[in-house]
Amino acid sequence: MADSDNPIYGPFFGVMGAASAIIFSALGAAYGTAKSGTGIAAMSVMRPELIMKSIIPVVMAGIIAIYGLVVAVLIAGALDEPSKYSLYKGFIHLGAGLAVGFSGLAAGFAIGIVGDAGVRGTAQQPRLFVGMILILIFAEVLGLYGLIVAIYLYTK
Amino acid sequence: MANKNKLNSSGEAASNKQKLKKQRSDDAKDYSSFKIVFFYCSLIVFLPVVTFFCLKSVVLDRFFTLTDLNTNIYSAVGAVLALHLALGLYIYRAYFGGKDSTKTD
Repeated sequence: MADSDNPIYGPFFGVMGAASAIIFSALGAAYGTAKSGTGIAAMSVMRPELIMKSIIPVVMAGIIAIYGLVVAVLIAGALDEPSKYSLYKGFIHLGAGLAVGFSGLAAGFAIGIVGDAGVRGTAQQPRLFVGMILILIFAEVLGLYGLIVAIYLYTK
Repeated sequence: MANKNKLNSSGEAASNKQKLKKQRSDDAKDYSSFKIVFFYCSLIVFLPVVTFFCLKSVVLDRFFTLTDLNTNIYSAVGAVLALHLALGLYIYRAYFGGKDSTKTD
């Protein structure tokens, strides 16, 4: 039966890690998509030729969800039955999932707010586009840091 | 009165034709930009997923010395790199391709 290193509830933490990785990343990505989507919808009424440029915040918000997906797939691939899955591994996977999940949530919020204001501003002053892209990249990198930490934890 | 009506109607017909022409050219422009955006969006969504699983199976097949953990990590890193490559391509196209389309407008 399960001993103290491999308790029956060990995989619970791993499962929660995989779930929280994708849940929180998707929350952030959904907020980013919705918020910048309202900006695009308001802007496109007057400047429909800028659609291609203004989709970028939505794409970047989608990438946040892909980070969460990658970590969730990695953790789900390492899950096993309690006798082969130590409690330590469960904690590590929970930490990895939370790292990428909450980083993704934060990055998604940032992308949503910046995307909304940036897209509306780009319609009036096209030179704002470069600045918007730079700010979006810096927001995106927050999610990437979470992914790096999650993968580093996963290798432990 | 009748003459005036005739003139008005011919003018309306001409403006309607022009409107239709403009509408058609707008539609063609919208369709071409939709094609580009759709292509890049599907590239960004599917390329990392395909890269992840392809890299995983290929690396597993070719280098058996790698452990399962290392294979997973390399394929995840490869997927993220492919994702950023596709995103960079899209931003490049949006920045430089967008300039051309506004010039032709």
